[in-house]
Amino acid sequence: MAAKSTNAIPKALTAAVLMLAGGLAAYRSQAAAIVGQQGAAEIQRPASVPRTLDQTKAEYRRPETIPFPPTNPYTLEKAVLGKKLYFDTRLSSGNLLSCASCHNPAFGWGDAQPKAIGHDMKVLARRSPSIVNAAWNQALMWDGREATLETQALGPIATAAEMNMPLAVLTERLAGIGEYNPLFIAAFGTDAITAQNVAKALATFERTVVSASALFDSWIAGDEKAISEDAKRGFALFNTKAGCAQCHSGWNFTDDSFHDIGLDSPDLGRGKLVPDTLKLQHAFKTPGLREIARRAPFAHDGSLPTLEAVVDHYDRGGIERPSRSDIIKPLRLTAQEKTDLVAFLQTLTGRAEPMSIPLLPR
Amino acid sequence: MKIATLISIAGSAGMCVAAYASEYMVGQKGRTFSVANLDIKRGDVVVFVNDDNITHNVSSSSAGNEFNLGSQALGTSTSVTFTTAGEVDVRCLIHPRMRLTVKITE
Repeated sequence: MAAKSTNAIPKALTAAVLMLAGGLAAYRSQAAAIVGQQGAAEIQRPASVPRTLDQTKAEYRRPETIPFPPTNPYTLEKAVLGKKLYFDTRLSSGNLLSCASCHNPAFGWGDAQPKAIGHDMKVLARRSPSIVNAAWNQALMWDGREATLETQALGPIATAAEMNMPLAVLTERLAGIGEYNPLFIAAFGTDAITAQNVAKALATFERTVVSASALFDSWIAGDEKAISEDAKRGFALFNTKAGCAQCHSGWNFTDDSFHDIGLDSPDLGRGKLVPDTLKLQHAFKTPGLREIARRAPFAHDGSLPTLEAVVDHYDRGGIERPSRSDIIKPLRLTAQEKTDLVAFLQTLTGRAEPMSIPLLPR
Repeated sequence: MKIATLISIAGSAGMCVAAYASEYMVGQKGRTFSVANLDIKRGDVVVFVNDDNITHNVSSSSAGNEFNLGSQALGTSTSVTFTTAGEVDVRCLIHPRMRLTVKITE
């Protein structure tokens, strides 16, 4: 765990003599931070108080508003432009793929495929994630490599295997579509079409994609008749014996963190970006579970075709390996408990709300 | 820990930084840093304690103060000495919601 040293400067010979255990101190303050030795720490653990059902339910209350960042606040004009761009297949070199092709409202904002399909019908490495409730995500993509929706939006457009549209060509093509002109002026005050503004518009629209209120939410609000007894037992299991809530936590059912759940897949996930950290090998971002009944198949590689298969996987515990999350282990669920869990997951599907496909600029 | 502090003080003297370094403890219980913001001086030490019930990976890519503690097991603590003035964005690479901003002044 030695700190990285940047420059080796002659003056640093003096400093080199004063080398710290486990790190180098550079004379100029351009060095990285210095990491010391790891030691044991005495931890106080107060006795945990069991939570009541009502206390648990309170953690699942839906938020009142959508968070928009101060660097890209919501405006109707940006959202309208963003929606048109999102559905516009001319943002791909082959004129066949738009964001909506893989993140399709008809399929719970995914594409119902085990793995995404890109340029020239090439099958890609991972499944298209659903964008529902992305406004709350702290990191985007299965391996979390993009920090914000703005930085993520241009990735699939420019990637050769996906929409295959270099950004310089993108802005030129959009500038040649006359009816985009007033839309960009309305959204950004300028008709200069930049990749950054395209990203901001897309991100603004994406943040408005929020899962509709579901029967589960009615139950959380106090309507005891909203969901079945099976589903209520499933919710209890979700928070206790099955342990799901340890990662699928809160109203959006995700901790935004990365875990290896023991799937039989060579894909290292976030581990490829952070090779030194054992627990990040084979680790993928916890997806949210809103609209989950509409988002089959499941897992980063689409290898779990149904919710029942998902429950079975967790019940077995997956592959035992050092990177596997400490909280994943065989659950020994009964058949009834498995049915109850699936019944609960079904209650997370929102009311079907019609979605309008935008008319696109010519 | 004490020895590392003494050595860092000796090293700091050679770099014309304040003679006495302060030490700050930051916990990680409940997948949250125990403080959201820290104001410290260059050469001060922040001790990251994993008092949570799971592994964390505290790191920062902020220029001049990069560090990566790797997998930090439960019940361990590791010190980090910040060598450059500025603002440092500290994250956990496993739990992106964990964020701490450290402001370092001369």
